[in-house]
Amino acid sequence: MIELKQDRLIFRFPEVHDEARVSIEFQRTLRIPDDDREYPLPPGLGRFPLRHVDDFVANVPGSWIEHGGVMLPMYQSEALWVNFSGGYPCAVKVATGKIDAVTGKTLRPGLGRRPQNYVAIPEQPWLDGYCVEQGVIRQFVAMPLGAGYTAEEQITGEAEHGGLQVLVYPMKAEAYERLRSQPMEFGRSIFAGEMLCRSATFEGMGLAPGGRMRQQIFDDPHDLEDWDQAHVSRCFVHLANSLVWRQITDEHPPTVPPTAREYANAGLPWFEYYDDHLSAVRGSGILDKLKSVVQLGSEKGDVPVPENASVQGMPIVELRKGLRKGQVREGRF
Amino acid sequence: MSRAFGDYVRKRREALREEDDAFSVRQVAQRIGVEPSFLSKVERGETAPPSEAKIVALAEELNEDPDVLLALAGKVSSDLQEAIRKRPELFATLIREMKGMPDHAVLRLVREVRDGKW
Repeated sequence: MIELKQDRLIFRFPEVHDEARVSIEFQRTLRIPDDDREYPLPPGLGRFPLRHVDDFVANVPGSWIEHGGVMLPMYQSEALWVNFSGGYPCAVKVATGKIDAVTGKTLRPGLGRRPQNYVAIPEQPWLDGYCVEQGVIRQFVAMPLGAGYTAEEQITGEAEHGGLQVLVYPMKAEAYERLRSQPMEFGRSIFAGEMLCRSATFEGMGLAPGGRMRQQIFDDPHDLEDWDQAHVSRCFVHLANSLVWRQITDEHPPTVPPTAREYANAGLPWFEYYDDHLSAVRGSGILDKLKSVVQLGSEKGDVPVPENASVQGMPIVELRKGLRKGQVREGRF
Repeated sequence: MSRAFGDYVRKRREALREEDDAFSVRQVAQRIGVEPSFLSKVERGETAPPSEAKIVALAEELNEDPDVLLALAGKVSSDLQEAIRKRPELFATLIREMKGMPDHAVLRLVREVRDGKW
């Protein structure tokens, strides 16, 4: 079951294990420069508001009601990262416009290892974008569906789905109990289950590849057989343009986030995340061939992002560097 | 009640501090906007738990469920109070009927995010 609580999606799998629970939220962040340099992790600026689409039947497209799920507001060219919380192991598939963000392939049910088409929780705390190279992602950036920028449109040639999809698979109870008997293998929180969430926009919005960022998508340290693929929950998260959010919900959308340059000029920290015990998956050849928003805009003669100045020399906070496996990590503030 | 709240907060904060100095009384207090001496007294049960807003901020810091911390502090979140005030008879009946039900049965009644046809 999926519950919406305080702008978080809470996935529970009581039929698998009492502790099987995972929380997924979508964090606002600044858009890193799309200049082919590699940037560290930007901060989290707070959770995007999440609302049931069913609560706004009269104000959203019929396709949203058909899809079900939730919606959140994003400005065009605003960035987002996905935050996973929980200690109960689960495998999470994330897709945008039904394109797998790790492999670049069309989203299909089920977990695979060659290539790995999911991230393993709790080892993977965040996902900020598309896995284009080993240790490098391109940031998730919101763009109007139909303009040709989204990963979905670049790969399929169609602007059909938009949004963002997340699928979560819990670890089998017996595998979890086996792991739990090994001290220090996991953090405190416990989540499990398979969930799928996807988001789209009012006029049709999707996510496109933005600037390059250093982030590893970790190899799953567990056996594929440890995941309970018989229990799946899924959720469709629609992306509404912030400019129409108030028309839909009668609530003000969050303010426009600062630019990377404004943030850097303020001397605020960026982040690097380390886990010396885990290796990273290789990047997707499909995703690596995608053009970034700025690259594609340049070819089209468009200016798709309002500001794209490079930043450098920013202070970097190193997270988990030198920590042993199982130690509690510090979050991104 | 306040002692249970303080004990819970202290144990949770100290557990986090074992791995991260950012969870010292001083730093946590600073982040939620209270004096360190106040947070220290709250943890020792020497003073009443803080306001709802501070408890929610503390829950966020400690990665705890705010409703759980509020309950330990003897409080109910204002949004729940408002919901009950709006439909007192209905919610009073509902809560009284459900209070003895096992968790799994209650969870069946929790509103789920509806999945549709993709």
